Amino acid sequence: MILQTDTISLTLQGNRLLNDIALEVRPGEVLGLIGPNGAGKSTLLRVMAGLLRPDTGCVFLDGRDLFTMPPEERGRHLAYLPQEAPASIGMSVRDVVALGRLPHRRTASAQQDAAAVRQALDAVGMSAFADRSSASLSGGERARILLARALAVQAPVMLADEPVAALDPAQALTVMNLFGQYAAQGQAVAVVLHDLALAARFCTRIAVLSEGRLVGIGTPAEVLTDALFAEVYGVAVRRCGEVAVPWSLVASTRRP
Amino acid sequence: MSRYALTVAILTTLVLALAILSLAAGLAGIGVTQGLSDMLHGRATIAATIIGQIRLPRMTLALLIGATLGLSGAALQGLVRNPLADPGVLGISGCGALGAVLVFYTGVSAVWAPALPLAALSGAGLATLLLLVLTRGGTLVLVLAGAALGSMSAALLALTLNLVPSPYASYEIMHWLMGSLSRASQQDVLIAMPGLLIGSALLFSTGRSLDALTLGEDVAQTMGFPLRAVQWRVVIGTALAVGSGVAVAGGIGFVGLVMPHLLRPLAGARPSRLLLPSALGGAALLLAADLFVRLPVSGAELQLGVVTSLIGTPVFFWQVWRLRGRPV
Repeated sequence: MILQTDTISLTLQGNRLLNDIALEVRPGEVLGLIGPNGAGKSTLLRVMAGLLRPDTGCVFLDGRDLFTMPPEERGRHLAYLPQEAPASIGMSVRDVVALGRLPHRRTASAQQDAAAVRQALDAVGMSAFADRSSASLSGGERARILLARALAVQAPVMLADEPVAALDPAQALTVMNLFGQYAAQGQAVAVVLHDLALAARFCTRIAVLSEGRLVGIGTPAEVLTDALFAEVYGVAVRRCGEVAVPWSLVASTRRP
Repeated sequence: MSRYALTVAILTTLVLALAILSLAAGLAGIGVTQGLSDMLHGRATIAATIIGQIRLPRMTLALLIGATLGLSGAALQGLVRNPLADPGVLGISGCGALGAVLVFYTGVSAVWAPALPLAALSGAGLATLLLLVLTRGGTLVLVLAGAALGSMSAALLALTLNLVPSPYASYEIMHWLMGSLSRASQQDVLIAMPGLLIGSALLFSTGRSLDALTLGEDVAQTMGFPLRAVQWRVVIGTALAVGSGVAVAGGIGFVGLVMPHLLRPLAGARPSRLLLPSALGGAALLLAADLFVRLPVSGAELQLGVVTSLIGTPVFFWQVWRLRGRPV
């Protein structure tokens, strides 16, 4: 399935958060959404997930308006992984992951549900924890079971908001690899990222947001230029092989 | 048998046993089976009258009101994801009682009987609605709002008592505020039954949505469970169930707080799995408490609401103890 935003704009409490953003997430790709803090990445993702209705423009899922689609059907087509984890879920790891099957309650068999849960737990390497209480897990483990919950939906579109923010490098690589595999199966993935090295390494395409506008979109090599770092982030970079490392602040007319 | 099924089976047995005991308990020494059979065959014996007009209504109301209180506690706790939510603690029962007392006091209910349950329903409904609007501010705001609603209804109830012209009327209101089933009649069952049943059905229907909500409002919404829809079902369900209960039995507190808390370790943390056990547990608790108040321990019969509050307060303290030091 292809998810498209058609020149969407959104103003909340007098602040223009998104401005004429048109992009698409295609099957088989990992689209990275990057940009400085406050650029509108999470807001855009929430619009794409159907949580915020744009003032103008539309979001289409395979050509159908996302906001007129029955909620249950939308739930099967689209998995959303928010940035904040819920405060406390007392239930077992397996039960948490099984919540991802709720949108399928009228369409899938118990066997299909169980298989999807098993697969998702395997994917994040948490099968051994299935019967543990989720309250006893570390932050990284909890992030992984919440990811497993989103994977268990087996939705054609996955939207994840900073899924690696709380993870150590090894876990961050594992999670980004998972998104890569998910996309390789033909699913469309959009991920908000702050780590530009991970974005360069794992994203098929990157969309750059700045002050609510889409200022660039393309392959990592096309987008992650020295000019972009200076213009959008206000930093000069040093390149170590393929990786750009933010090195110093640059005087910019736009960023003090 | 899973632990959940075992819990449900044990609670069901307990409820049935207590229901039979409740029919058997009383000063008049009559045979329960004889009385029931006389009643069903339309024989106008003393046993049939006592069972049919006194004990059966009392047992039915204790069972149904207890069940809906346990159920509404479990549903409210799931909705606001806070173990302190309960119709009594949050002032919903108090506002229901206020509505009923106002109608009673002004004499409207003497002219038009359905005004009493309707006023109790409206009071409970308005309170729940107000709480939901304020829930957006989080746990602390919710508990404070509940305390404010509770104090407000208590103050206005005290004012009504204060202004009541005759000592007899004030005794009537007091008796009812403390919560009691000692004068339960067939008519009370007819008044309360529709609200209790429809309210319960609404509350039971929220199970899956409450499960989804454990992942947060955003995720629940993307999975096809819009928060508004769940909120409305819980508000209307609680208002119908608690309002109808208050209208005939007065304020009976803490059942909704105690039951989910006691049963969570047995039934598991999934909110949908807590609904049925909490309803059964609430029914058992209220049947047991209503049996206890009938024990001839002292000269005066204890009031039902007083007993449940005495049972519930330690659990409330225990919850506060567990929550201490946690960020709000």
